Order: sequence, then C-alpha cells, then structure tokens
Amino acid sequence: MTNSAREPLTSFGGTRPLVCKVAEVPENGLKECAIEGGLKLVVANAGGEFFGYQAMCPHQDVALCEGLFDGSTLTCHMHLWQWDIRTGAPLGIAESPLQRYPLAREGDALYLGGEATALDVGELFNGLGEGTLEALAKLARREEFAEGSVLYKLGDPAEDFFVLESGRVEFQIGRDERVNPAGFMLKKGEVFGWAALLENHPQRIASARALEKSAVLRINGKQALKVLESDPESGYVAMRRLAGLIARFLAAAGAK
Amino acid sequence: MRIQVNARNRAFQFEAATGEKILYAGLRAQAGLPYECATGTCGTCKAKLISGSLDDGWTQAPGKKYLKAEGEFLMCQCAALGDVAIEVASFVYPIDPGLCRMAALEGTVQSVRALTHDISAIEVVLDTPCEFDAGQFMAIRAPGVQGMRGYSMVNFDRPARALEFIVKKKNGGGFSDWLFSGKAPGARLELFGPLGKATFHPDLARNILCIAGGTGIAGMVSILSRACRARYFDPHQGHVFFGVRTMKDTFYLEELASFASEFPANLSITIALSDEDVPASAAQRFPSLAFARGMVHDVAKHAMAGKYQNVRAYLAGPPPAVDAAIRVLLLEAKLTTDNIRYDKFS
Repeated sequence: MTNSAREPLTSFGGTRPLVCKVAEVPENGLKECAIEGGLKLVVANAGGEFFGYQAMCPHQDVALCEGLFDGSTLTCHMHLWQWDIRTGAPLGIAESPLQRYPLAREGDALYLGGEATALDVGELFNGLGEGTLEALAKLARREEFAEGSVLYKLGDPAEDFFVLESGRVEFQIGRDERVNPAGFMLKKGEVFGWAALLENHPQRIASARALEKSAVLRINGKQALKVLESDPESGYVAMRRLAGLIARFLAAAGAK
Repeated sequence: MRIQVNARNRAFQFEAATGEKILYAGLRAQAGLPYECATGTCGTCKAKLISGSLDDGWTQAPGKKYLKAEGEFLMCQCAALGDVAIEVASFVYPIDPGLCRMAALEGTVQSVRALTHDISAIEVVLDTPCEFDAGQFMAIRAPGVQGMRGYSMVNFDRPARALEFIVKKKNGGGFSDWLFSGKAPGARLELFGPLGKATFHPDLARNILCIAGGTGIAGMVSILSRACRARYFDPHQGHVFFGVRTMKDTFYLEELASFASEFPANLSITIALSDEDVPASAAQRFPSLAFARGMVHDVAKHAMAGKYQNVRAYLAGPPPAVDAAIRVLLLEAKLTTDNIRYDKFS
C-alpha cells in the first residue's frame, strides 16, 4: 500500500510553468493557453476564480475556448456537451468529464499547479469531500500492466475495483471460443471492476486485459464502501454516479 | 462480409454487402453508430481499423482532416474488402426499434423547379416508398458525382413515395453543379436514410421554436406539415423564424402563409431580411406572415423574449447562423441542451 495516489504525477523541477497572465482571461470568459512543453489548456475565469482544463472537447477535436461559458457551466458549441466549471463533471448529455489541471495564482499570473490524479478527475469521486478523497487515496495501490496482460478473468473474485490512470483496458465476456468484446476504457479516471462496490456480486462477470501499457489504481471495494459510509454526503454522490455509470453500460435501445 | 465493431460499452456484429459503406451497413442493422453528416464532411463517424482491409470510396473527403492516428478512417466512406474488425471510441447503443428504419434506396428525379435565382426544389420518386420523421435528411448520390450529399426532406408523408429537397447553387459543389447543369430530370439517384436526430413528433407536447437560415427552412417545412396535419397548434404554440438576405431570396412564402393562416392564434411565422428593409408590399402580399429586418437569430431573440417556457427549439442553416442561435438559446433563453435540436450536416 502506498499513499502516492494523490501526489502530483508530474514534477516541474521546482519551476512551475506559466499558464497566462490573469488579465488575459476575461471575467466569466475563456482563454486557450499554450504552455511550455506543448500542453494546451482552456482557462476559465469564474467570477475571479480560475480553473484550467484540457483545451479540446473529449468528444471530438473541438477547441473548448470557442465554447459558451456563463460563469458556471462550460458548453462545447459543437454538440452542446456541458461541464461544471468547478469540477469538470459532465452535465446534461456529456458522456465524460474534463481533465482538470490545478492552477496556482501568484501575483498577476497563473501557473500550473500540477496534474490532477486519476482519483481527482475520476467519474465516481471527482469533487467529493477532501478527507474522503484522502482516505480513498490511501487505499489505492498504483499498478502497471504491460500490453496484453490480464487484470482479471471471468469468475475471479471481485474484491477490488480499478481507476484507469493511463492506457487502455478491454473487457471480454463469454468463455473459451465464445468470447466477445464487451467495451473498453481509455479515459483517465474511468472506473471499472465496479462489481467490487456492489452487494452479492462476488465474481467477475467479464475479463479485463490491457490493450496497451496501462496504469491503474487498485482499490479494495469493501474498504472503499466503509470510507464512503463514514461520509454519507460524499457516499451518496458516489453511489448516484455509480448507478449512472452502470446504466450507461446497460442502456437499452432508446434509453440512452 | 462480417463487420465487428468494438465500442466503448459493447460490441456489435453485422453483415455488409459488397461495396456498402460500413456506416450504412451498421445503421441498417440497427447499430446506432456515431454520425452527423454521413457524407464525408464532419468526421463524426471516425473509427479505427483493427483487422481486415478497407476500400476508401472518396480519398479526398473533407472529413479526413479529422483523422490523426494510424488506421483511422471514416465509416461513411469506407467499405469492407472481407471481414473486418474496427474500434469506435464512443458509447454505441442499438437504435430504438420504434424509429424509422434506415435503408439504401433508389429513385428517379421527377422534376426540378427554380424557387429563387439560386435555389431549386427537386422532386425524387422512390422505387419503393420509405418512412421518415419530420426534420430528417437523406444522403444522396448523383450520377458521376464523387461522394454523397445530405439534403433535408421538405415534405412529410408516411409512407412517402416522393421526396422533395431544396438545393442551393454553389459553384464547385458537385451535387449542385450537376443539378443546375440541366441533366437532372429523369436521372437515377442513390439515397441512404432517413438520417438525422433533429426530429419532430406530435407527442412532444411542447411549444416549438424553429430558427432557419436559407435552405435550412427545408426541414422546418416538413415539421410544420406534420404539426399542422396533427393540429398540433391547437393546444401548443409555434414560432418560426426564416432568415434570408432580401425579398428576392425568399421562397415557400405561400406554403408558410397557408400554415400560419390555419392557426392564427398559436402559430407565428416571421421572415427576417438581413440585407434590406422590409418592403411595404411584403406584408400586403402575405398578411398572415410577419416580416422584420435583421439577422434571423436577433429577430428571434427580440420576438421571443419572455416566451421560452416549455419550448423545444429546432435550428438549421449555415453553421454561423446555427451557432449564433445556440448562443441565444443557451445563454439568454436558458434552454436545456436536450431542447435544442439541430443536425450539423452541411
């Protein structure tokens, strides 16, 4: 067990990269900023508070700085995906969160404060109480898988769930010759193996395999549930999101 | 040919005919693959080849600029040359079986009639009738023209044997050049559809707002046909804004005037002229229509202030006009995104 899950994954060797001058981001407006090293962010000014996110819409390659922003909700103008500017959580018809980049303000400039961890941006835990996130991070073990390696097989005990940090993980259902692909994970913060968070689902119903070199956070389901029980407000949010996530995978025709 | 599509949430398997575009084969098999224009422009149907080989029907398709990684291709342009497995990086669900089935169709151009100096209506009689929802479009291929183009149906009939479309003259536009060359009457066309999600159904039970620029009025006329026939504007309101440059760019005013005069209390139709003042003769000729000077989204914004309760909006037209209307509806009218419908296919 380590407690490294919430430490910034990138270090900037003591000098934090400049994002932009505060004055360049209009009140309740957006600005795209190119940062040394090639990273691009969209910076939002929400009533004097600044938030940094991935510059491009996670749906298609559309620059979010061309989107609409009313001070609290960011909307991509192309297909109207929306996010809460304070957390990057998806709203309305959006299917995935925005990757957040913490910003630090010093004087009249904004600097990159590090990269949010997979737990911070994760679709289940994003924006939960700070203490609860810390406790979950303490439960998390970071594991790396080489391309082609198996994370779990059909019928394995479902004790842990996973939060994808990087790479791509594919699922398969069925046995022997009758296996079928059953979806894949590719976004930082996506949660899988969530049977570990459900009652009476002791076994894996699919197998999971790394399609490319992948890093995940492994978290014990029972211990995570205890943490969520001790902070029912956060626990409720996480369970609501879990229900939404399961529905997204099970959605039937017309029930999107 | 067997096609396997691995999507974010599940896999789909379906058969494709020789030469059939993978997108069309999938939609025909009720796999709700992502698409928007379905004709090579928008890049929405991007996928990645995992195994097998493909025939790219239009190597110059403008949507190819959205392809980045090795193996990426447009499903609307590529056919399988044998069994293939592909990956689509989005959630894909089966198509609601209650929706009109998509199919490859063929038809004959019955007539072409000029509506303005640069817009013509084209009537196509299908070999076999089809069903579609008001607001949908067809991908159409003209003989000898590279790629297909999307055009909204203007009429509404169920089933429909004849489809009416409107086409704007555009130099260098393959379909448009062909149509305005005079070779169209009697020509055979290939079609695929119906496509598009900006549909209207009378069980919507909301007031409707239509904002259209130029040829974007096509789908709105279909929606109005359907709504009027269902007497939708007895219990619900309709607000329609049709933007063009000048009076000489207007068309379908007789049809619009007849819809408006059928429901004088609840259906208002406004013609917005961006480049000239409204001539006095306009209101005299069409007493059931309103006329205003201005960009169509501005005219709509002014007229709709305070009337956004329980509204579903439909938008169509040139992309800048649609974007301007979206801005008004989201930021000022505070409509939720599920009540703003448009298909970006042009």
